[in-house]
Formats: sequence, C-alpha cells, structure tokens
Amino acid sequence: MNGLPRLVLALTLITVGAGLLLSLVESLTREPIAEQRRLETLRALQTVLPPFDNSPDADTVELVAGQDRKGRELRRIFFRARKDGALAGVAFTVVAPDGYSGNITMMVGVDPEGKVVGLEILSHAETPGLGDKITRDEFKGQFRGKTLAGADWRVKKDGGDFDQITGATISPRAVVKAVHQGLQFFHDHLSEVLAAKGGVQ
Amino acid sequence: MSLLGEFRKGLWRENAVFRLLLGLCPTLAVTTSAENGLGMGFATTFVLVGSNIVVSLLRQVIPPKVRIPAFIVIIASFVTVVQLCMEAYFYDLYKALGIFIPLIVVNCVILGRAEAFASKNRLLPAMADGLGMGIGFTLALFVLGAVRELFGSGTLLGYAVFGSGYQPLLLMILPPGAFIAMGLLLACMNLFDARRR
Repeated sequence: MNGLPRLVLALTLITVGAGLLLSLVESLTREPIAEQRRLETLRALQTVLPPFDNSPDADTVELVAGQDRKGRELRRIFFRARKDGALAGVAFTVVAPDGYSGNITMMVGVDPEGKVVGLEILSHAETPGLGDKITRDEFKGQFRGKTLAGADWRVKKDGGDFDQITGATISPRAVVKAVHQGLQFFHDHLSEVLAAKGGVQ
Repeated sequence: MSLLGEFRKGLWRENAVFRLLLGLCPTLAVTTSAENGLGMGFATTFVLVGSNIVVSLLRQVIPPKVRIPAFIVIIASFVTVVQLCMEAYFYDLYKALGIFIPLIVVNCVILGRAEAFASKNRLLPAMADGLGMGIGFTLALFVLGAVRELFGSGTLLGYAVFGSGYQPLLLMILPPGAFIAMGLLLACMNLFDARRR
C-alpha cells in the first residue's frame, strides 16, 4: 500500500493512539485536579473569613450580577460560612478587569455586619516587583475592618483611604474599585444572599 | 557516537539554549526564578524524551511526507499529559508556568530533535539524546532563572540571599532582564571556551 491511503492511514493511527493515551490520562487526573481547585478555594476562604465549622464551598448562593458585553449572564457566587449554625461571614469573588495586565481575581470575605474580614488575590498577571505587590499582606491588610460606608474607596493619590504602591497605581486602583463594587453588590442583595436556602436564585 | 556521547553533547557542546539558541521563547519568558526554570526544564525534558522514544520507534512507519504533522501530534500529546499531571499534582508550579506549558508544543528544540535525530536513530541513542538535550535545557533555564532571581529579587529558590538592605534590581526579572542575563551568560560561556582552547 503506497501513496495517499498510506499517508492517511499512518496519520489516523497516530492520532487515534494519541487520543487513547490522552483520554486515559484525563480520566486519571480528573479527580485530583478537581480536588486541587477545591482546596485552592478552601484555602482562600479560610484566609478571608472568620473561623467557621461548615463547608462554605457547599453552602453557596449564586446571583446574576449583570451581563457582559456579549449579553451573557455574569454570575457571582457567595460562600456562606457558619459557626455553630449561625452565620459567621460571607465570601465572594470579585474580578478587576482594569488592572495593568489582564484580570485580577480576588476573594473578599465580610462578616455579617458587612465589615471586610480579609482579601485574597486569587490570580493576576501584574508586573513582577511592581503591581504584584498587591499580593503582599501590607496591601491586603488595609482592607480589614473597612465597611462600604465607613471608608473612601479610592487610593490616596485620588483622595481616598487606601495606600497605593510606589511605582504602580493602576493595580491598587483596580483592586480598590473592584472590592468596592463587590461590597456594593453584596449590600444591595443582602437579603437574597442571607435568606436563600442555597443554589441558583 | 557512543550512548554517553549522545547524552553528553546536549549538556554543553550542543546545549539547546546556550549553543544552538533554540527554544528561546519559553527560556526568556519563564526564567523569572530558579524554581520556574527548573519546572519548565523538567516538563520539557519529559516531553523531549517521550517524543524521541515514540518518534524513534515509529520511524519506519511514519511516511516521510507526513512526518511533521505526525511529530507534532506526538509532541502535543506528551505536552497535554504533562499539563494534566502538573495541574493534578504540582498545582502551584502549574499556576506559575501558566500559558507556557501548552506552548512547549511549539518549542523548536523538541521538533528539532525529533526531525534531526530521533527519526534517524534507534531507540537507545534517541533516548540518550532526548535526556541529554532535556537536562542541558533544564540546566540552562536553571542558571538563567537563578541569576535573574538572585539579582532581581535577592533570593535563590525562594530563600533570601542578600541581607534585607538589598535593593532588588527589578530590571532583571522584567523581560529586558532576560535578554541582558542571557547575553552575559553567553559571553561568559564563550570566554570560558576560548580560554580552554
């Protein structure tokens, strides 16, 4: 067998073999990968929430937070932490689309009174050594204890309450703005977040 | 050439990064720290050895006319295996290397070795070649990453080396620092070779 059929056969066999190998590896790694992602969420939840004894990643409320440019629904997930059955705090992710490079994804935790307990940067692509200082505790720590009404949600350079970073104003500004919008959304939908039994509203 | 010779040529004489100047895109992009360099190096080594083995075994079967698509499918499969395993078992490294793991597919070192060596040689030499080239690549990335991390962040593998008074030379971990460090290391290697001769 020569010519075109042979070429087609050889390539087909190689791709089928590759496909088989990949499906095997995928089935073996699917669970560990899901577990890693869950652990990452849990780690972030533990740093931004007061102590809790339930699994906030199983006690969630999902709200539609608006639409993106293509008209698709943007959903926001609220993780509810409980201690001895009582609500201890709520965590939610916010995305800052206007950082220096790419989206900055964060997890914000608030106590039942709406006071910020903690902020954690989940993913970002800010400049190493400059904008990436938003991941430092000195920067994240200044959000602790702030409330929606009790702070001026701008960086100091713009007249607000939050320290910017020397040489990088864009990243902190984006973070402050995103956290502020997240808190505002939480405040506006407080009853839905707290009252709901869970699941998609 | 002996098996050992095939292995050793990738370490220095035909080092992919410092001698052949191949695969520079991931090299320059991920070497912001020694750890990233090592991780990228090991991932590439695994893909290189795997693709060399399969290409060598299939060298009589793959028709010359479609060898490049065949090589690419093989390489891409190994890269996907690496990506899935890294995400499952080395999650932090996976997040640090990000987009550069899938881009191992287009690292010309790997296609280059499949085309120039594995498709013309038997299994054992092809394995030795892949391993040597891979370790050479890893060493180069480690050295480059270590130099940039040392001056750019003042740490080595995450441990502080200089005292707290050290003001990091930020430029070194920014993209231009990659070119500068690369150029200086190349100059050092050439100087070393010239002295030895």
